[in-house]
Amino acid sequence: MIKLINLTKKFGTFTAVDTVSLTVEPGTIFGFLGPNGAGKTTTIRMMVGLLKPTSGEVIIEGKNIAHEPVEAKKVIGFVPDRSFIYEKLTGREFLEFVGGLYGLSKDECREKIQTLLEVFGLTGWGEELIESYSHGMRQRLVLCSALIHNPRVIIVDEPVVGLDPRGARLVKAVFKDLARRGKTIFVSTHVLEIAEEICDRIAIIQDGRVTVSGTIEELKEIANTSDNRLEALFLRLTGEDDTRDAIAALTLERNE
Amino acid sequence: MNSLPDLLHPRWQCLKHRIKDVRAREMLKPIILACLALGFWSGTFIVFYRVLAYFQGIESLGDFLAAKLLSMILLVFFSILLFSTIIACLSIYYLSDDLQLLFSLPVSLSDVYVAKLLETTVTSSWMVLLFGTPIFLAFGVVYHAPLMFYGYWVIVFVPLIITTSTLGVMFTMTLVTVFPARRTRDIMVLLSILFTVVLYILFRLLKPESLVDPESFSSMIDYFTTLRTVSSPFLPSVWASECLLPWLQPSYRGNSGFFLLMLWSTSLALLVIGDWTSSRLYYNGWSKSQEAKRTRLTRRKTFTYALELFTKPLSPAIRMLIEKDVKVFLRDTTQWSQLLLLFGLIIVYVYNFTVLPLDRSPLPTFYLQNLFSFLNLGLAGFVLSALAVRFVFPAVSLEGRAFWIIRTSPFPLRAFMWSKFCLYVFPLIVLAVILTVVTNWLLEATTFMMMLSVITILIMTVGITSLGVGMGAMYPRFRHDNTAEISAGFGGLVYMICAMALIGVSIILEARPVYIFFLSYLKKAPLSGWFYGELSAALLLLVGINIASVVLPIRYGLRNLISMENHE
Repeated sequence: MIKLINLTKKFGTFTAVDTVSLTVEPGTIFGFLGPNGAGKTTTIRMMVGLLKPTSGEVIIEGKNIAHEPVEAKKVIGFVPDRSFIYEKLTGREFLEFVGGLYGLSKDECREKIQTLLEVFGLTGWGEELIESYSHGMRQRLVLCSALIHNPRVIIVDEPVVGLDPRGARLVKAVFKDLARRGKTIFVSTHVLEIAEEICDRIAIIQDGRVTVSGTIEELKEIANTSDNRLEALFLRLTGEDDTRDAIAALTLERNE
Repeated sequence: MNSLPDLLHPRWQCLKHRIKDVRAREMLKPIILACLALGFWSGTFIVFYRVLAYFQGIESLGDFLAAKLLSMILLVFFSILLFSTIIACLSIYYLSDDLQLLFSLPVSLSDVYVAKLLETTVTSSWMVLLFGTPIFLAFGVVYHAPLMFYGYWVIVFVPLIITTSTLGVMFTMTLVTVFPARRTRDIMVLLSILFTVVLYILFRLLKPESLVDPESFSSMIDYFTTLRTVSSPFLPSVWASECLLPWLQPSYRGNSGFFLLMLWSTSLALLVIGDWTSSRLYYNGWSKSQEAKRTRLTRRKTFTYALELFTKPLSPAIRMLIEKDVKVFLRDTTQWSQLLLLFGLIIVYVYNFTVLPLDRSPLPTFYLQNLFSFLNLGLAGFVLSALAVRFVFPAVSLEGRAFWIIRTSPFPLRAFMWSKFCLYVFPLIVLAVILTVVTNWLLEATTFMMMLSVITILIMTVGITSLGVGMGAMYPRFRHDNTAEISAGFGGLVYMICAMALIGVSIILEARPVYIFFLSYLKKAPLSGWFYGELSAALLLLVGINIASVVLPIRYGLRNLISMENHE
């Protein structure tokens, strides 16, 4: 379970995240949406202990990340949006290393690594240096590393960036399966189809504040729109209807 | 279409923004750096001024010595410029991030070549120019050179720099063509070996030992002839010295204009040849460097087994961290070449002790042997801190943008810091002890000095290592393109100053007991109880200072890492 209580982050005078409060129940996939620069990544970085909140609390499985960081981090599996990893390790060595950081012995790691590499289609690449991996392969490897210690909470920033359609489908299936097994999954994404397809609940953040939160059905009611697509909902709720006008103007210009 | 100004514009803009950024944020760092640079600058000027003034005082021989010194300096500059061009060229022409964009733009290859040549030239030569200026100023001031000399110096240096740049670029382009597709490892290793060999050959060519030993020549005329001969008439650095000397010594019979023409014509010809070479080699080489999807990895099972055995008693997390660091270190070729060079320097350092002419000195051999043995502590400490600034100081920064893995894991940062310390302290201790024992053995130092040196260096190494890990965490640089820039930054400089201070204090602490020991030995008087008291107090203080150097930097480094926010 994830609980954010009045979470706030200020950079000087600029408020990046403003009193965000959320609760994500176990067995749920929670979608965190918002336009660029809305505060999604800052929120996530505070949730995993990479940033210190200016005020507010992050509670992961009952542990406050500020007061019990080690205990809270033990149950988190984190996938950042940009997968910077050790280029000079092989995929298998990297997973063994991360497993070690979570206190797993080599023997415990070995079997788990084999399964994860198979699930994410990296079996043939385990012995290769990461520097020779494509962006999508790195992303899949980081997903493996986030799951190696069997976390109860999974926090993902942009889960399908750089993944091909097959990889994206795989990730969606894995997340659904994890949620079925009672894991709490928090996903920040720009890809609305992903949110629409896998998320049980969604929150939209704009200018650092959560403007709406609920199931897609609830959001439709709030937006008061007949358009069933999440894109229409998103644009309406983030007040970006004018984007449509811009697109229309652009199309007109091209036709002239 | 001439896109050269457009290609150079972003670099210029970036530089402007960086300066603006420094001005806006903190003024302390640039002020300290400027003071240090000014200190170094003035120091260099004073040293050269005094040496040249001394030379000038030696009748007839002085001018020859000054001329030889100038040609030596220019030769060293030439080789440093050439090597730094090769290294800079490799990253600017082949590994730089902007290349993907540049090659996708409608820009001619020739424009890219020239733009990158300018970048390479500036990158590789600004430091040499900055620190070389006081030397040439000293020459000008001592020899009362006319004002024109300083302008002439610029006219001489520009073609010299163009020559080294174009030569370096052409050499690298040929090398990248021979070693295809990301085989930078081979290139780097080859380059370092080459550099060591070239350095050695150049050094031997100069025969520096002959200058201080006129007796080895059959006659004074031979000695003068050696000094007077142009060492290698095909070296551009020699042309540069031939250009400058007539301005300094009017009695010098040379053809300044001819050598200036040689410099300019060669540099301009090399520019054209370089352009031609790049039109044939550059694109192919760059394209090849994008290929090779898989990297062949040679692995030695015995090595992995030994590493696992060594780390077995540790907790899984620390064990994995150490294993990871060792593997990454061994697979990073830039580390290898640096290691190789430092290894070469250590060999030269030890070799120097074998050729010290102690028996020819008017001072008692015993006194000199033990004095050198004591001063050697400082030298060994310097060698160790040079190693530490290159390998220990960057230890935390080397986690790079992957540091988020450590930060988001339940592995405590304190354990992370100590595991870095443990990883480096043992190899450094082994090296320090070997260095001290071997040099003391070569000096035939007394058992007392041998024991004292080993104990002191042991304690100092622990302090130097911890200072490196801690200050590396206080001044981390997670966003870096190559390892060398971590230690070359502001933090590395501050670390070197602190390490030097630590070594200095440690030596000063022991100076008095050692002096008393010498005196009693020379006077053949027994050592008093007072001596042992002073020695014990000095050693206790030494331990105390080094414990502080272990605890405090780690604590402050840790505090900084915890408070850091933008480290991804």
